Amino acid sequence: MYISDKNKQLNTYDAIVIGSGISGGWAAMELCKKGMKTLLLERGRDVKHIVDYPTATLNPWDFKAGLNNTMKDREIDPVQSTAYSPADKHFYVSDAEHPYIQEKPFNWYRGYQVGGRSLTWGRQCYRLSDLDFEANHQDGFGVDWPIRYKDLEQWYSYAESFIGVSGNRENLKQLPDGEFLTPMELNCIEKHLGDSIRKHDEHRLLTIARVANLTRGWDHRGPCQNRNLCNRGCPFGGYFSSNSSTIPAAMATGNLTLRPFSIVTEILFDEQQQKAKGVRVIDTLSNEVYEFYAKIVFVNASTIATAGLLLNSVSSRFPDGFGNGSGQLGHNLMDHHSSAGAYGVHEGYTEQYYKGRRPCGFLIPRYRNLQHDKSLDFKRGYNIQGHGERQEWMDKAQSIDGFGEDFKAQLTTPGPWTIWMAGWGECLPYFDNKVSLDNSRKDKWGQPLLKIDFSFRENEHKMMTDIQHTCGEMFEKAGFKNIDTFNYNKPGGSTIHEMGTARMGHDPKTSVLNKFNQMHEAKNVFITDGSCMTSSACQNPSLTYMALTARASQFAYEQLKKGDL
Amino acid sequence: MNRRLYIKSVFGLAVAGTASFSIFKWVSINRAIVPADLVHKRDLLAELAELIIPQTDTPGAKAAMVQDYIITVMLNCTPAKEQNKFIDGIAELEDYTAAQYGKAFLKCSPSERKAVLKHMAKNSSGYSYKILNKINNKLFGKPFFLKLRELTVDGYCQSQLGATQGLAYDYIPHTFEACIPLLKNQKSWATK
Repeated sequence: MYISDKNKQLNTYDAIVIGSGISGGWAAMELCKKGMKTLLLERGRDVKHIVDYPTATLNPWDFKAGLNNTMKDREIDPVQSTAYSPADKHFYVSDAEHPYIQEKPFNWYRGYQVGGRSLTWGRQCYRLSDLDFEANHQDGFGVDWPIRYKDLEQWYSYAESFIGVSGNRENLKQLPDGEFLTPMELNCIEKHLGDSIRKHDEHRLLTIARVANLTRGWDHRGPCQNRNLCNRGCPFGGYFSSNSSTIPAAMATGNLTLRPFSIVTEILFDEQQQKAKGVRVIDTLSNEVYEFYAKIVFVNASTIATAGLLLNSVSSRFPDGFGNGSGQLGHNLMDHHSSAGAYGVHEGYTEQYYKGRRPCGFLIPRYRNLQHDKSLDFKRGYNIQGHGERQEWMDKAQSIDGFGEDFKAQLTTPGPWTIWMAGWGECLPYFDNKVSLDNSRKDKWGQPLLKIDFSFRENEHKMMTDIQHTCGEMFEKAGFKNIDTFNYNKPGGSTIHEMGTARMGHDPKTSVLNKFNQMHEAKNVFITDGSCMTSSACQNPSLTYMALTARASQFAYEQLKKGDL
Repeated sequence: MNRRLYIKSVFGLAVAGTASFSIFKWVSINRAIVPADLVHKRDLLAELAELIIPQTDTPGAKAAMVQDYIITVMLNCTPAKEQNKFIDGIAELEDYTAAQYGKAFLKCSPSERKAVLKHMAKNSSGYSYKILNKINNKLFGKPFFLKLRELTVDGYCQSQLGATQGLAYDYIPHTFEACIPLLKNQKSWATK
């Protein structure tokens, strides 16, 4: 490609960030705040806060077929349609337009737009602890994390203080407390279960979820209005997303250039400098190819896409993918499992109800293998997430008999109290759970399709059995009836916590990134999305991505100032 | 013919018989439906839905236009075999009404209508033999009455009249009150 000097200058920035989801939005904001001219590249369309939330204020009757997807939806989007509904379909890709290859069943849910999946995320914010950072080192799975909790502690606080997290301090070693806004409140059945759990087991407790929903006004946003329609985008700015928070903050600095409709196909390697010089982009509106240049590149395309992009960036220095001297790139893919749990009905508290729709549930922090427990047949652990509610019409309809006035009366009054809960479980890093490229099959932009080869293994399945067992037991002890322990056996990807394809580590021979998320083999490339994760822990991971991103941005900025990049 | 051969041949016939029957059934329940077949039944569906959720001190299914919801979901969001099961169910109901009362359903008295729907509701109790039901529903679609009732419930509870008058609708709650006393005649919340 020939570019005149003038154009080259026009296309040169201090920093390039690839992807505008949770971690990319954070990278862009941090770099802009440090005074760096930053180009934020997003492959999808723009989504402006509030303006582009077309369904946010709709009523149930505004959807002519309710929240049912059409047969055509299910045919064109066999994977995405299992997650979306007519209320939020516009925040998911079309599978037909963005195919990928499942070597084994794997649900890859994607949101290609400015804000990415930060618009539809679960908003749970949990810190990892040294139980997690030391896990690989302790039992020998994967490689050792190059960081410990103390390295990330201040950055967790920094991220929480910026986004606003509501939650309760519990003083647990395995789940460190954070900077919390007033917690949301547990309802009476959840308190009942919590009291029973605390009474029966000193190592367990039930607490309100820690969520990026604001219980007070914060940074010109919120508070949360308890509508529980977060996935449509919040017109009140009641929860954190790139769109409501980091991107406006980056824009306000005057240093951000946001470029949607820009698929990055390659990171360009400068043989002389032995580092990245920039990126190649396809403009999806014009189909023209551009190159952009920068001193540093942050890759935040999301775990699977980031691996694909790096594997696709080959040069004589990197014949097997950018920065892939270790051969680990694309490998060690992990996703939490969240298929196993239990459901129970309680006959008490019939005179109690609630008002409003709290946008979160409860959490029972990890209680397994806090020290290695020889009596258990699996490693690592899980936390339990769930919510209590009274049965409403959608839950009762199936089990009321007949039709007519009695049927209607029963249908329209609150049913018994119930709790649904499931275990979010750690997944070990297995080398052969991997992402690779199929160069014989291309998408409509001529890019190779991604292949995903992933399965849960024995350790995860044994953990699921234990989850069913302990959940059922906690219900029994709390006097629940009709306890149903279940395992949905959902395939990988279903929890939407993909991670691990470009892991951090001490050793360039066995890892892609160092302790600052900096590429071992190209010092000006940083990866701070889920692909950097060395192990999965069992906590919802987004808060950790935010903390790692803020930390890496600071490091990159300092290195640049010192002239080391 | 010796006994063994006889048994074998009868068995073979039986297998052939069931196989061909299944294939026939399979083809017929997967045929593409004609939308007009359903649209023409709008008035009938309105009356059936009203039987399920009648007008009381709050509006019923007919006032909430549930018949339109049923047709929309049936035509756009339902697999072919469930559509056919539903259309066949309507035909069965009409045949039964004709045989039993010698007139069309819409010409029947309220008590006759109720008796017809009661007949259709027989053999479709939703929760005994959970697993068998699941398998049967998966292969052949939900029984007509249960599908009709499910669509009626969904349509009613998400309609403006159903959600705001039949149930309690809280458009923007503002606050979350975790534990409050249940009020007298408290209606269920329309949304979660």
